[in-house]
Amino acid sequence: MRKSPLLIVLTLLCVAPLASCVTVKPQQRAVLADPIMQFDGDPQAAAQLRHAIDNREGSYGGGGVSGGGCGCN
Amino acid sequence: MRLGVAACLVGAPVVLAAAPARAQVVVLDTAHTLYHESPTRTNMTVYTPGVALSVNPTQWLTIRGGYEADIVSGASVSVKAGPAYQAVNPGADVVSTASVNDLRQSPSGGITLRKGDVAYTAQYTYGTEHDYKSHSIFVSAKTEAYEHDTQFELSYARNFDRVCDRTQAVNDRPPRFRALENSDACFADSDPLRTRHTLSIDGLQAGWTQAWTPTFATQISYTAQILDGFQSNPYRSVILAQGLKAQEHHPENRARQSVSLRANLFIRPIKLAVRLGARVYRDTWDITSGTGDIELEKYLFEGFRVAARARYYKQNGASFWSDDYTGGNAPLGPKGQYWTGDRELSPFSSIGLGLRLTYGIQPVKGRLLGLMTGLKVGAAADAIQFSYDEYTLGGIPITNARAYILGANLSASF
Repeated sequence: MRKSPLLIVLTLLCVAPLASCVTVKPQQRAVLADPIMQFDGDPQAAAQLRHAIDNREGSYGGGGVSGGGCGCN
Repeated sequence: MRLGVAACLVGAPVVLAAAPARAQVVVLDTAHTLYHESPTRTNMTVYTPGVALSVNPTQWLTIRGGYEADIVSGASVSVKAGPAYQAVNPGADVVSTASVNDLRQSPSGGITLRKGDVAYTAQYTYGTEHDYKSHSIFVSAKTEAYEHDTQFELSYARNFDRVCDRTQAVNDRPPRFRALENSDACFADSDPLRTRHTLSIDGLQAGWTQAWTPTFATQISYTAQILDGFQSNPYRSVILAQGLKAQEHHPENRARQSVSLRANLFIRPIKLAVRLGARVYRDTWDITSGTGDIELEKYLFEGFRVAARARYYKQNGASFWSDDYTGGNAPLGPKGQYWTGDRELSPFSSIGLGLRLTYGIQPVKGRLLGLMTGLKVGAAADAIQFSYDEYTLGGIPITNARAYILGANLSASF
Protein backbone atom coordinates (compact mmCIF):
# COMPACT_ATOMS: atom_id res chain seq x y z
CA MET A 1 0.00 0.00 0.00
CA ARG A 2 2.97 2.24 0.51
CA LYS A 3 3.28 2.86 -3.25
CA SER A 4 -0.31 2.49 -4.36
CA PRO A 5 -1.61 6.07 -3.78
CA LEU A 6 1.16 7.46 -5.96
CA LEU A 7 0.45 4.78 -8.52
CA ILE A 8 -3.23 5.68 -8.56
CA VAL A 9 -2.52 9.39 -8.99
CA LEU A 10 -0.04 8.75 -11.79
CA THR A 11 -2.46 6.40 -13.54
CA LEU A 12 -5.24 8.96 -13.32
CA LEU A 13 -2.97 11.70 -14.65
CA CYS A 14 -2.11 9.48 -17.62
CA VAL A 15 -5.68 8.45 -18.36
CA ALA A 16 -7.43 11.79 -17.75
CA PRO A 17 -6.27 13.41 -21.02
CA LEU A 18 -8.19 10.70 -22.88
CA ALA A 19 -11.32 12.49 -21.79
CA SER A 20 -10.53 15.34 -24.17
CA CYS A 21 -10.74 12.89 -27.09
CA VAL A 22 -14.33 12.06 -26.29
CA THR A 23 -17.24 14.24 -27.22
CA VAL A 24 -20.85 13.41 -26.60
CA LYS A 25 -22.84 16.10 -28.39
CA PRO A 26 -25.66 17.82 -26.52
CA GLN A 27 -28.28 16.25 -28.80
CA GLN A 28 -26.83 12.82 -27.91
CA ARG A 29 -27.20 13.28 -24.18
CA ALA A 30 -30.82 12.19 -23.77
CA VAL A 31 -29.93 8.79 -22.31
CA LEU A 32 -27.13 10.14 -20.12
CA ALA A 33 -29.49 12.80 -18.74
CA ASP A 34 -32.21 10.28 -17.94
CA PRO A 35 -32.64 9.48 -14.24
CA ILE A 36 -31.90 5.82 -14.98
CA MET A 37 -28.29 6.75 -15.86
CA GLN A 38 -27.49 8.86 -12.79
CA PHE A 39 -24.74 7.63 -10.49
CA ASP A 40 -26.67 8.77 -7.42
CA GLY A 41 -30.24 9.41 -8.43
CA ASP A 42 -31.56 9.40 -4.85
CA PRO A 43 -28.59 10.71 -2.87
CA GLN A 44 -30.31 10.88 0.51
CA ALA A 45 -31.68 7.33 0.29
CA ALA A 46 -28.33 6.09 -1.02
CA ALA A 47 -26.50 7.81 1.86
CA GLN A 48 -28.77 6.15 4.41
CA LEU A 49 -28.19 2.72 2.86
CA ARG A 50 -24.42 3.32 2.86
CA HIS A 51 -24.61 4.44 6.49
CA ALA A 52 -26.33 1.18 7.46
CA ILE A 53 -23.85 -0.97 5.54
CA ASP A 54 -20.69 0.98 6.51
CA ASN A 55 -21.54 0.45 10.18
CA ARG A 56 -21.41 -3.33 9.69
CA GLU A 57 -18.13 -3.41 7.80
CA GLY A 58 -14.53 -2.43 8.48
CA SER A 59 -14.30 -0.45 5.26
CA TYR A 60 -15.23 2.96 3.98
CA GLY A 61 -15.08 5.10 0.88
CA GLY A 62 -16.54 6.00 -2.46
CA GLY A 63 -19.70 7.59 -1.10
CA GLY A 64 -18.65 11.04 0.01
CA VAL A 65 -16.84 12.28 3.09
CA SER A 66 -19.36 14.41 4.96
CA GLY A 67 -19.80 13.61 8.63
CA GLY A 68 -22.33 14.07 11.35
CA GLY A 69 -21.86 11.77 14.32
CA CYS A 70 -21.40 8.10 14.84
CA GLY A 71 -24.76 6.30 14.91
CA CYS A 72 -22.78 3.10 14.84
CA ASN A 73 -24.26 0.93 17.57
CA MET B 1 -15.93 4.33 16.43
CA ARG B 2 -16.51 4.91 12.81
CA LEU B 3 -17.69 7.97 11.08
CA GLY B 4 -21.39 8.03 10.45
CA VAL B 5 -22.74 9.40 7.23
CA ALA B 6 -24.69 12.56 7.64
CA ALA B 7 -28.04 13.32 6.31
CA CYS B 8 -27.21 15.39 3.55
CA LEU B 9 -27.14 15.71 -0.06
CA VAL B 10 -23.97 17.65 -0.52
CA GLY B 11 -21.82 14.75 0.58
CA ALA B 12 -22.91 12.66 -2.36
CA PRO B 13 -20.36 12.05 -5.07
CA VAL B 14 -20.44 13.78 -8.37
CA VAL B 15 -23.29 12.97 -10.70
CA LEU B 16 -24.00 13.58 -14.32
CA ALA B 17 -26.86 15.90 -13.58
CA ALA B 18 -29.98 15.77 -15.65
CA ALA B 19 -31.09 19.07 -17.09
CA PRO B 20 -34.29 20.12 -15.36
CA ALA B 21 -37.34 20.63 -17.49
CA ARG B 22 -37.79 24.03 -15.86
CA ALA B 23 -36.35 26.03 -13.05
CA GLN B 24 -36.91 24.32 -9.73
CA VAL B 25 -37.01 26.85 -6.94
CA VAL B 26 -37.53 24.49 -4.02
CA VAL B 27 -36.77 20.77 -3.69
CA LEU B 28 -37.97 18.74 -0.73
CA ASP B 29 -36.41 15.32 -0.14
CA THR B 30 -37.30 12.86 2.54
CA ALA B 31 -35.91 9.36 3.02
CA HIS B 32 -36.57 6.70 5.65
CA THR B 33 -34.60 3.54 6.29
CA LEU B 34 -35.34 0.65 8.63
CA TYR B 35 -32.49 -1.70 9.50
CA HIS B 36 -32.97 -4.92 11.43
CA GLU B 37 -30.76 -7.84 12.33
CA SER B 38 -31.02 -10.52 14.99
CA PRO B 39 -28.05 -12.87 14.94
CA THR B 40 -27.45 -15.27 17.84
CA ARG B 41 -28.05 -13.60 21.23
CA THR B 42 -28.15 -10.04 19.87
CA ASN B 43 -30.48 -7.91 17.84
CA MET B 44 -30.50 -4.38 16.49
CA THR B 45 -33.20 -2.23 14.94
CA VAL B 46 -32.38 1.21 13.59
CA TYR B 47 -34.93 3.57 12.09
CA THR B 48 -33.39 6.45 10.17
CA PRO B 49 -35.69 9.27 9.05
CA GLY B 50 -34.25 12.17 7.09
CA VAL B 51 -35.53 15.32 5.45
CA ALA B 52 -33.72 17.92 3.36
CA LEU B 53 -34.90 21.15 1.80
CA SER B 54 -32.98 23.04 -0.87
CA VAL B 55 -33.88 26.44 -2.23
CA ASN B 56 -32.53 28.11 -5.37
CA PRO B 57 -33.27 31.82 -5.00
CA THR B 58 -31.04 32.53 -8.02
CA GLN B 59 -29.31 30.45 -10.66
CA TRP B 60 -25.96 30.78 -8.90
CA LEU B 61 -27.03 29.97 -5.37
CA THR B 62 -28.53 26.97 -3.59
CA ILE B 63 -29.28 26.99 0.13
CA ARG B 64 -29.82 23.67 1.92
CA GLY B 65 -31.02 22.55 5.30
CA GLY B 66 -31.54 19.04 6.53
CA TYR B 67 -32.21 16.83 9.49
CA GLU B 68 -31.55 13.15 10.06
CA ALA B 69 -31.89 10.83 13.03
CA ASP B 70 -31.00 7.28 14.02
CA ILE B 71 -33.40 5.71 16.48
CA VAL B 72 -31.60 2.64 17.80
CA SER B 73 -32.85 -0.19 19.97
CA GLY B 74 -31.64 -3.71 20.57
CA ALA B 75 -29.09 -5.76 22.44
CA SER B 76 -25.37 -5.98 21.75
CA VAL B 77 -22.44 -7.95 23.12
CA SER B 78 -21.05 -6.28 26.25
CA VAL B 79 -18.48 -8.91 27.24
CA LYS B 80 -16.80 -10.91 24.48
CA ALA B 81 -15.00 -14.20 25.05
CA GLY B 82 -13.90 -16.92 22.71
CA PRO B 83 -13.65 -20.70 22.54
CA ALA B 84 -10.41 -21.09 24.53
CA TYR B 85 -11.86 -19.26 27.51
CA GLN B 86 -15.14 -21.13 27.20
CA ALA B 87 -13.26 -24.44 27.14
CA VAL B 88 -11.72 -23.82 30.56
CA ASN B 89 -15.03 -22.54 31.94
CA PRO B 90 -17.44 -25.27 30.92
CA GLY B 91 -21.03 -24.61 31.82
CA ALA B 92 -20.45 -20.90 32.39
CA ASP B 93 -22.01 -18.26 30.16
CA VAL B 94 -18.83 -16.35 29.35
CA VAL B 95 -20.49 -13.90 26.95
CA SER B 96 -22.94 -11.26 28.10
CA THR B 97 -25.17 -8.81 26.29
CA ALA B 98 -26.72 -5.49 27.20
CA SER B 99 -29.66 -3.55 25.87
CA VAL B 100 -28.99 -0.56 23.64
CA ASN B 101 -31.23 2.46 23.20
CA ASP B 102 -29.90 5.54 21.54
CA LEU B 103 -30.96 8.49 19.45
CA ARG B 104 -28.65 10.26 17.03
CA GLN B 105 -29.88 13.60 15.75
CA SER B 106 -28.10 15.45 13.01
CA PRO B 107 -29.21 18.83 11.67
CA SER B 108 -27.21 20.35 8.82
CA GLY B 109 -27.09 23.42 6.65
CA GLY B 110 -25.08 24.54 3.65
CA ILE B 111 -24.82 26.50 0.45
CA THR B 112 -23.66 25.94 -3.11
CA LEU B 113 -22.32 28.78 -5.21
CA ARG B 114 -22.03 28.39 -8.98
CA LYS B 115 -19.89 30.44 -11.30
CA GLY B 116 -19.61 29.26 -14.88
CA ASP B 117 -18.83 25.56 -14.89
CA VAL B 118 -17.67 25.51 -11.28
CA ALA B 119 -19.76 24.86 -8.19
CA TYR B 120 -18.50 25.41 -4.65
CA THR B 121 -20.29 23.82 -1.70
CA ALA B 122 -19.90 24.36 2.02
CA GLN B 123 -21.86 22.61 4.75
CA TYR B 124 -21.95 22.30 8.50
CA THR B 125 -23.44 19.27 10.26
CA TYR B 126 -24.00 18.84 13.97
CA GLY B 127 -24.45 15.39 15.41
CA THR B 128 -25.58 14.59 18.91
CA GLU B 129 -26.15 11.31 20.73
CA HIS B 130 -26.30 10.47 24.40
CA ASP B 131 -22.64 9.47 24.28
CA TYR B 132 -21.26 11.21 21.18
CA LYS B 133 -21.17 14.76 19.85
CA SER B 134 -19.89 15.87 16.49
CA HIS B 135 -19.21 19.11 14.64
CA SER B 136 -18.48 18.56 10.97
CA ILE B 137 -17.52 20.97 8.22
CA PHE B 138 -17.59 19.96 4.58
CA VAL B 139 -16.36 21.81 1.50
CA SER B 140 -16.22 20.74 -2.11
CA ALA B 141 -15.54 22.12 -5.56
CA LYS B 142 -16.88 20.61 -8.74
CA THR B 143 -16.12 21.61 -12.29
CA GLU B 144 -17.05 20.50 -15.77
CA ALA B 145 -14.87 20.27 -18.84
CA TYR B 146 -14.85 19.09 -22.43
CA GLU B 147 -18.42 20.02 -23.39
CA HIS B 148 -19.72 18.90 -19.98
CA ASP B 149 -18.65 15.32 -20.71
CA THR B 150 -16.13 15.44 -17.89
CA GLN B 151 -16.63 16.36 -14.26
CA PHE B 152 -14.06 16.63 -11.53
CA GLU B 153 -14.92 17.00 -7.86
CA LEU B 154 -12.74 17.49 -4.82
CA SER B 155 -14.26 17.23 -1.33
CA TYR B 156 -12.87 17.65 2.15
CA ALA B 157 -14.52 17.16 5.52
CA ARG B 158 -13.25 17.68 9.05
CA ASN B 159 -14.99 16.29 12.11
CA PHE B 160 -14.43 17.53 15.63
CA ASP B 161 -16.00 14.76 17.71
CA ARG B 162 -16.22 13.93 21.38
CA VAL B 163 -16.89 10.45 22.77
CA CYS B 164 -18.11 9.64 26.26
CA ASP B 165 -16.19 7.15 28.39
CA ARG B 166 -15.92 5.92 31.93
CA THR B 167 -13.38 7.66 34.13
CA GLN B 168 -10.67 5.12 34.90
CA ALA B 169 -8.66 4.85 38.09
CA VAL B 170 -5.57 7.05 37.97
CA ASN B 171 -3.05 4.23 38.23
CA ASP B 172 -4.89 1.77 36.00
CA ARG B 173 -3.65 0.83 32.54
CA PRO B 174 -5.78 -0.45 29.61
CA PRO B 175 -5.82 -4.12 30.73
CA ARG B 176 -7.52 -2.90 33.90
CA PHE B 177 -9.87 -0.37 32.30
CA ARG B 178 -13.55 -0.94 32.94
CA ALA B 179 -16.25 -0.45 30.34
CA LEU B 180 -18.78 2.35 30.40
CA GLU B 181 -21.95 1.08 32.08
CA ASN B 182 -24.46 3.39 30.38
CA SER B 183 -24.74 6.80 28.77
CA ASP B 184 -26.30 8.57 31.75
CA ALA B 185 -24.84 12.05 32.36
CA CYS B 186 -22.25 11.52 29.64
CA PHE B 187 -21.93 15.21 28.86
CA ALA B 188 -22.71 16.51 32.34
CA ASP B 189 -19.40 17.88 33.58
CA SER B 190 -20.56 17.37 37.14
CA ASP B 191 -20.31 13.56 37.04
CA PRO B 192 -16.79 12.48 38.07
CA LEU B 193 -17.37 8.97 36.67
CA ARG B 194 -17.73 10.31 33.13
CA THR B 195 -15.05 11.69 30.87
CA ARG B 196 -14.91 12.75 27.25
CA HIS B 197 -12.31 11.80 24.63
CA THR B 198 -11.70 13.66 21.41
CA LEU B 199 -11.80 12.14 17.95
CA SER B 200 -10.81 14.17 14.91
CA ILE B 201 -11.56 12.88 11.45
CA ASP B 202 -10.21 14.27 8.19
CA GLY B 203 -11.78 12.99 4.98
CA LEU B 204 -10.78 13.70 1.40
CA GLN B 205 -12.39 12.52 -1.81
CA ALA B 206 -11.42 13.18 -5.41
CA GLY B 207 -13.78 12.11 -8.15
CA TRP B 208 -13.75 12.03 -11.92
CA THR B 209 -16.96 11.36 -13.83
CA GLN B 210 -16.75 10.82 -17.57
CA ALA B 211 -19.31 10.33 -20.32
CA TRP B 212 -17.58 8.21 -22.95
CA THR B 213 -20.44 7.58 -25.37
CA PRO B 214 -24.14 8.58 -25.45
CA THR B 215 -24.89 5.43 -23.42
CA PHE B 216 -21.80 4.83 -21.30
CA ALA B 217 -20.33 6.77 -18.38
CA THR B 218 -17.85 5.99 -15.64
CA GLN B 219 -16.95 7.45 -12.27
CA ILE B 220 -13.73 6.86 -10.40
CA SER B 221 -13.09 8.20 -6.94
CA TYR B 222 -10.30 8.08 -4.41
CA THR B 223 -11.22 8.45 -0.75
CA ALA B 224 -8.87 8.91 2.18
CA GLN B 225 -9.65 9.32 5.85
CA ILE B 226 -7.45 9.91 8.88
CA LEU B 227 -8.86 9.31 12.34
CA ASP B 228 -7.08 10.47 15.47
CA GLY B 229 -8.59 9.79 18.86
CA PHE B 230 -10.77 7.36 20.78
CA GLN B 231 -12.15 4.68 18.44
CA SER B 232 -13.12 1.84 20.76
CA ASN B 233 -16.62 0.89 21.80
CA PRO B 234 -16.60 2.18 25.40
CA TYR B 235 -19.36 -0.23 26.43
CA ARG B 236 -17.64 -3.44 25.31
CA SER B 237 -15.24 -5.58 27.33
CA VAL B 238 -13.01 -8.40 26.19
CA ILE B 239 -11.83 -11.32 28.29
CA LEU B 240 -8.02 -11.14 28.34
CA ALA B 241 -7.20 -13.83 30.91
CA GLN B 242 -8.85 -15.94 33.55
CA GLY B 243 -10.84 -13.52 35.66
CA LEU B 244 -9.63 -10.47 33.73
CA LYS B 245 -11.94 -8.50 31.47
CA ALA B 246 -10.90 -5.16 30.07
CA GLN B 247 -12.59 -2.44 28.08
CA GLU B 248 -12.05 -2.79 24.34
CA HIS B 249 -8.81 -1.06 23.38
CA HIS B 250 -8.27 0.08 19.79
CA PRO B 251 -5.35 2.10 18.42
CA GLU B 252 -5.94 5.86 18.43
CA ASN B 253 -4.75 6.43 14.88
CA ARG B 254 -6.14 4.99 11.70
CA ALA B 255 -5.55 5.96 8.08
CA ARG B 256 -7.97 4.55 5.53
CA GLN B 257 -8.06 4.78 1.77
CA SER B 258 -10.06 3.32 -1.04
CA VAL B 259 -10.49 3.51 -4.78
CA SER B 260 -13.92 3.05 -6.32
CA LEU B 261 -14.89 2.58 -9.93
CA ARG B 262 -18.44 2.70 -11.19
CA ALA B 263 -19.74 2.28 -14.71
CA ASN B 264 -23.21 2.92 -16.13
CA LEU B 265 -24.16 1.35 -19.44
CA PHE B 266 -27.52 1.66 -21.21
CA ILE B 267 -28.33 -1.23 -23.54
CA ARG B 268 -30.67 0.32 -26.08
CA PRO B 269 -32.18 -2.81 -27.70
CA ILE B 270 -33.61 -3.98 -24.38
CA LYS B 271 -33.75 -0.53 -22.72
CA LEU B 272 -31.83 -1.76 -19.71
CA ALA B 273 -29.38 0.21 -17.56
CA VAL B 274 -26.51 -1.82 -16.16
CA ARG B 275 -24.50 -0.42 -13.26
CA LEU B 276 -21.27 -2.04 -12.19
CA GLY B 277 -19.23 -1.05 -9.17
CA ALA B 278 -15.95 -2.15 -7.63
CA ARG B 279 -14.00 -0.88 -4.63
CA VAL B 280 -10.72 -1.80 -3.04
CA TYR B 281 -9.89 -0.62 0.46
CA ARG B 282 -6.94 -0.76 2.83
CA ASP B 283 -6.11 0.83 6.17
CA THR B 284 -3.33 1.01 8.72
CA TRP B 285 -5.08 -1.52 10.97
CA ASP B 286 -4.22 -3.93 8.18
CA ILE B 287 -7.77 -4.41 6.96
CA THR B 288 -8.00 -5.01 3.23
CA SER B 289 -11.32 -5.42 1.52
CA GLY B 290 -12.88 -5.75 -1.89
CA THR B 291 -16.44 -4.94 -2.92
CA GLY B 292 -18.24 -5.71 -6.16
CA ASP B 293 -21.80 -4.82 -7.04
CA ILE B 294 -24.17 -4.87 -9.97
CA GLU B 295 -27.54 -3.23 -10.49
CA LEU B 296 -29.91 -3.72 -13.40
CA GLU B 297 -32.66 -1.17 -13.91
CA LYS B 298 -35.42 -0.94 -16.47
CA TYR B 299 -38.49 1.18 -17.20
CA LEU B 300 -41.63 -0.94 -16.96
CA PHE B 301 -43.72 1.99 -18.18
CA GLU B 302 -43.21 5.73 -18.43
CA GLY B 303 -41.79 7.05 -15.19
CA PHE B 304 -41.82 3.68 -13.40
CA ARG B 305 -38.52 1.89 -12.93
CA VAL B 306 -37.62 -1.37 -11.28
CA ALA B 307 -34.09 -2.28 -10.28
CA ALA B 308 -32.49 -5.45 -8.96
CA ARG B 309 -29.09 -5.35 -7.30
CA ALA B 310 -26.49 -7.66 -5.83
CA ARG B 311 -23.38 -6.92 -3.79
CA TYR B 312 -20.45 -9.01 -2.60
CA TYR B 313 -18.04 -7.87 0.08
CA LYS B 314 -14.99 -9.54 1.64
CA GLN B 315 -12.44 -8.33 4.16
CA ASN B 316 -9.65 -9.75 6.25
CA GLY B 317 -9.29 -8.99 9.95
CA ALA B 318 -7.46 -6.18 11.70
CA SER B 319 -3.89 -6.98 12.72
CA PHE B 320 -4.89 -7.05 16.39
CA TRP B 321 -8.09 -9.05 15.89
CA SER B 322 -8.40 -12.31 17.78
CA ASP B 323 -11.46 -14.35 18.62
CA ASP B 324 -9.98 -15.22 22.01
CA TYR B 325 -7.17 -13.28 23.63
CA THR B 326 -6.68 -15.98 26.26
CA GLY B 327 -5.75 -18.64 23.74
CA GLY B 328 -2.50 -19.82 22.24
CA ASN B 329 -1.77 -19.84 18.54
CA ALA B 330 -3.65 -17.88 15.88
CA PRO B 331 -6.49 -17.28 15.37
CA LEU B 332 -6.61 -17.36 19.16
CA GLY B 333 -4.19 -15.65 21.49
CA PRO B 334 -3.02 -12.12 22.16
CA LYS B 335 -1.98 -9.97 19.22
CA GLY B 336 -0.10 -7.19 20.94
CA GLN B 337 -1.19 -4.18 22.92
CA TYR B 338 -4.70 -3.83 21.46
CA TRP B 339 -7.81 -5.97 21.71
CA THR B 340 -11.28 -5.86 20.26
CA GLY B 341 -14.61 -7.63 20.40
CA ASP B 342 -15.83 -5.95 17.23
CA ARG B 343 -17.00 -8.44 14.63
CA GLU B 344 -16.59 -5.73 11.99
CA LEU B 345 -12.83 -6.00 12.55
CA SER B 346 -12.84 -9.78 12.05
CA PRO B 347 -12.42 -11.52 8.70
CA PHE B 348 -15.78 -12.04 7.01
CA SER B 349 -17.69 -11.81 3.77
CA SER B 350 -21.22 -10.78 2.93
CA ILE B 351 -23.66 -11.13 0.08
CA GLY B 352 -26.48 -8.64 -0.42
CA LEU B 353 -29.51 -8.78 -2.70
CA GLY B 354 -32.01 -5.99 -3.19
CA LEU B 355 -34.92 -4.62 -5.15
CA ARG B 356 -35.80 -0.99 -5.77
CA LEU B 357 -38.90 0.63 -7.29
CA THR B 358 -39.04 4.24 -8.42
CA TYR B 359 -41.85 6.29 -9.90
CA GLY B 360 -41.25 9.79 -11.16
CA ILE B 361 -43.58 12.32 -12.72
CA GLN B 362 -42.44 15.50 -14.41
CA PRO B 363 -45.37 17.13 -16.23
CA VAL B 364 -44.52 18.85 -19.50
CA LYS B 365 -47.18 21.48 -18.92
CA GLY B 366 -48.68 22.81 -15.73
CA ARG B 367 -47.97 21.62 -12.20
CA LEU B 368 -48.97 18.55 -10.23
CA LEU B 369 -51.78 19.46 -7.86
CA GLY B 370 -51.16 23.03 -8.96
CA LEU B 371 -47.92 23.06 -6.95
CA MET B 372 -45.21 20.67 -8.00
CA THR B 373 -43.01 20.72 -11.07
CA GLY B 374 -41.90 17.16 -10.32
CA LEU B 375 -42.49 14.30 -7.94
CA LYS B 376 -40.53 11.11 -7.34
CA VAL B 377 -41.24 8.29 -4.91
CA GLY B 378 -39.14 5.21 -4.29
CA ALA B 379 -39.07 2.07 -2.18
CA ALA B 380 -36.32 -0.47 -1.66
CA ALA B 381 -35.72 -3.73 0.17
CA ASP B 382 -32.34 -5.36 0.75
CA ALA B 383 -31.15 -8.46 2.58
CA ILE B 384 -27.53 -9.13 3.54
CA GLN B 385 -26.07 -12.42 4.73
CA PHE B 386 -22.82 -12.13 6.72
CA SER B 387 -20.41 -15.07 6.97
CA TYR B 388 -17.87 -14.70 9.79
CA ASP B 389 -14.68 -16.72 9.36
CA GLU B 390 -13.52 -16.56 12.99
CA TYR B 391 -15.92 -14.52 15.12
CA THR B 392 -17.72 -16.59 17.75
CA LEU B 393 -19.57 -15.98 20.99
CA GLY B 394 -17.83 -18.27 23.47
CA GLY B 395 -16.94 -20.62 20.65
CA ILE B 396 -20.40 -20.66 19.05
CA PRO B 397 -20.17 -19.53 15.41
CA ILE B 398 -22.65 -16.90 14.23
CA THR B 399 -24.27 -18.50 11.23
CA ASN B 400 -27.53 -16.57 11.16
CA ALA B 401 -26.24 -13.01 10.78
CA ARG B 402 -28.73 -11.59 8.33
CA ALA B 403 -29.66 -7.96 7.99
CA TYR B 404 -32.84 -6.63 6.43
CA ILE B 405 -33.03 -3.07 5.17
CA LEU B 406 -36.20 -1.34 4.01
CA GLY B 407 -36.15 2.11 2.48
CA ALA B 408 -38.64 4.67 1.22
CA ASN B 409 -38.02 8.10 -0.22
CA LEU B 410 -39.91 11.00 -1.75
CA SER B 411 -38.65 14.01 -3.65
CA ALA B 412 -40.87 16.92 -4.66
CA SER B 413 -39.88 19.94 -6.72
CA PHE B 414 -41.78 23.21 -6.53
